[in-house]
Amino acid sequence: MSHAGELISAYLDGELAKAEIDQLQTHLSTCGKCAAELQEMQVVRSAVRSLPLLELPAGLIPEADAEVVPLRRNKGFWVGAAAAAVAVVIAIAAIVTPSTPSVALEELNSRYGARASLDPAFGPAKMVVPDLGDILE
Amino acid sequence: MRRAIALAVALVLLPASAAFAAELDELLDESREASYTAEQAITCSTPDGARNAVIELSQASGELHVGAPVAPDVEVASGFGGWTLVREGAVVSSANVEGAGEEPEPRYTVDEGTAIEYLGRAATMYRMTGDGVVRAELVFDVEAGALLRVVTFNADGSVFCERRFVTFDPGTPPDVDAEPAPSVPAEGGVESNLPETLGNFERLDVYEDEEGFIFAYYSDGFFSFAVFQTPATVAAGSGSPVTIGERAYVRSFGAGNVTYAWETRSGGMALVGDLPPDMHEDVLSGLPAPEDPGLFRKLWRNLFGQSGSPRPL
Repeated sequence: MSHAGELISAYLDGELAKAEIDQLQTHLSTCGKCAAELQEMQVVRSAVRSLPLLELPAGLIPEADAEVVPLRRNKGFWVGAAAAAVAVVIAIAAIVTPSTPSVALEELNSRYGARASLDPAFGPAKMVVPDLGDILE
Repeated sequence: MRRAIALAVALVLLPASAAFAAELDELLDESREASYTAEQAITCSTPDGARNAVIELSQASGELHVGAPVAPDVEVASGFGGWTLVREGAVVSSANVEGAGEEPEPRYTVDEGTAIEYLGRAATMYRMTGDGVVRAELVFDVEAGALLRVVTFNADGSVFCERRFVTFDPGTPPDVDAEPAPSVPAEGGVESNLPETLGNFERLDVYEDEEGFIFAYYSDGFFSFAVFQTPATVAAGSGSPVTIGERAYVRSFGAGNVTYAWETRSGGMALVGDLPPDMHEDVLSGLPAPEDPGLFRKLWRNLFGQSGSPRPL
């Protein structure tokens, strides 16, 4: 699995089968990039869910007017409130969702390792080893 | 006769360090040409605790492959400017670089060597010294030329890392021809305002990929590191916060390498290398300091990106 972007979205929507969930969780345990993406999507979703619900202003959707109980506040107030809500959503999304994904340690290792292999001192002394944990007892 | 005298005079006048440095290069070159399979144990004593690993190595034609017997689904291939990490049969990350720049001025010298026996084989141990400090002990196999053991030291003489073969089988390994993996091309020869020297390290070359990801490679002739500048943030994995020279970083030690990650106003930065801990502060102090980008800059960056390459330093 190279990148699990769509699977992560489906996972958060509860649309994955158990086998797919297991596969995704295995991948997330080894891929910092996808794990970070999952975390970012969770933050954005919870931020959006925490916003207050606003009623539609009268006249915004003519077909719905018959069903809407007229409100006392004026139209300008509701237009302003809707614009403010949209601005808040954009601001939160912009702050918590990087436009470019974060760079995983493995990507840095791959670039450093590639360049180090051209180094005259390259060999067993300079081989870049991926993080395998503390495995020598 | 005149020529012979001139040659003799030149040899006498040649600084001893230059002669030894050439010998170190030759030893390392010969080691790169060796073909073998081996198991290597890596034990490092870092400020954040011990970092250890056992890996399987096979080298042929200058290309080195790594597999880990305790993590059989992990494989790394490295050599001639390429590095690929494979987990469970899938490529996790991969990079190619080209256009390596000049080699650094020789900084380290090696002594004349001591004959020893290692893994039951005739070997020679050399001590590598820089600025009067022993920085490494290198053990080479006499017959195959392979580097069997290397110990690196901190400035106070304590051991930083030891990489030693615990098994060694010279000769061409059976299956070193891995499938070529997809790679992230990087273009060399990029202009950069990253410092040309950091501590005793020289900047050798700079690379940039299509996403504006820049990295510069520094070496002191033996130890090396890369400095990364990226419009994105750097996920430091299991790193821990640390203060170096009153600056706050996230640091992560692996078996034989270290990573520092931090954020500046123009994006994420990181350093990855194999240099001993006593060299870290000197190097980091020459780089842009960690800085909170601020709410407005975060907003701007996340809405509109970095508009190309990271801002010049």
